[in-house]
Amino acid sequence: MGAAQSGPKITAQDRAVLDLKIQRDKVRQYQKRIEVVLDAEKRIAKEALAAGRKDRALIALRRRKYQEQLLVKTDQQLETLETLVSNVEFSLVQKDVMFGLQQGNSVLKEMHKEMSLEQVEKLMEDTADAVAYQREIDEMLMSSMTLEEEESVQQELRALEVEQLGLPAVPETVPVGQLPEVPTTVPEVPETAPVEESQPERRVALEA
Amino acid sequence: MPGLELAPYQTPSGFTLPSIHSWSAFYTYQPNPRTLATQTQHWTQLLLTYARARRLFALSLADADLASAGKGAWAEVLHNPRLKPPSTSAHYTTLHACAVLLPASFFAPGQAGAESVILCWRTVGEWAGVLHDWALQTGQTSTILTLFEISNPPVPSELSDIPEPLLRRAVGVLQRSGKAQVIEGEGGGGVRIFA
Repeated sequence: MGAAQSGPKITAQDRAVLDLKIQRDKVRQYQKRIEVVLDAEKRIAKEALAAGRKDRALIALRRRKYQEQLLVKTDQQLETLETLVSNVEFSLVQKDVMFGLQQGNSVLKEMHKEMSLEQVEKLMEDTADAVAYQREIDEMLMSSMTLEEEESVQQELRALEVEQLGLPAVPETVPVGQLPEVPTTVPEVPETAPVEESQPERRVALEA
Repeated sequence: MPGLELAPYQTPSGFTLPSIHSWSAFYTYQPNPRTLATQTQHWTQLLLTYARARRLFALSLADADLASAGKGAWAEVLHNPRLKPPSTSAHYTTLHACAVLLPASFFAPGQAGAESVILCWRTVGEWAGVLHDWALQTGQTSTILTLFEISNPPVPSELSDIPEPLLRRAVGVLQRSGKAQVIEGEGGGGVRIFA
């Protein structure tokens, strides 16, 4: 069984939390026991009274009172224990949060190391150079074009615009025209002619 | 055919006993091995169903004795006062043995001689699943829980009143699949459940 243990290692904190919780459980069990005794004493007092023994009933009630006080005391102890347990658990959560923050911070630092200011500046300069170069190419291309060519390009653009804006609307209903009548008889097709035509061709192909 | 006039009977607590419960032969030792096997099977099924309905975890010889006097949690099912003559307690020892024979129960460890069995109306694996789901739903994963805390939760759960031996077995299943870690404290056991 021991070999199958997995997960994080059991630390001294874990043991402390477990011991605290076990203590809390014990107090709870003790309270249960007292409650049982309380009920029993009340029953005894009732029975004693019914039997006409007042002194017995009084003793039982006194004992009951004492147990009730004990119950109140244990309630306070239980509260203390539970506060302690929740405090410890909250601190553990805080510790986890701290650890997470630390990790995030170190990752961020490493990233910053990789992105030094000089590198960024150099990169931006390179980009600016490339942009300037591209602009030069554009200008050269523009100037190499003759006036006529430019004119025809503009015309093409205008034509495209007209086509896009000025298209006639598509009619919503298809006009029902008078369709030609469907022939009721099968037109006579000369069946033998195509066969005869293809035969000489095949023969030619074979001879070649 | 005595079986023909038998009918299911509903107890005052709302549990429906099967018709076989009203048959006197159900309470006597059956020498025929096949009949005995069938009888054992019926009894086990009945006991597990009843245990599940009433959330009873243990059955002991003392329960059988109490039941024949018409008392205890098991009185309704182990005893049938409507029979003439009423069922006797003679069979209960064999009955107890047949409950043990089945994989659906096991002896409570450390209580040798107490003659008490723990009934698994959920298998140990199923209990392990219930435990894991409970820890997930209540957000108690990765924290240390005491076994007492699991069987006596402040908010009643499926695991309320589960006996410790059964709970330990369920934890063992989770542990083997790497979903739990057992921590032994001085005054009791603790467990940490992982998501």
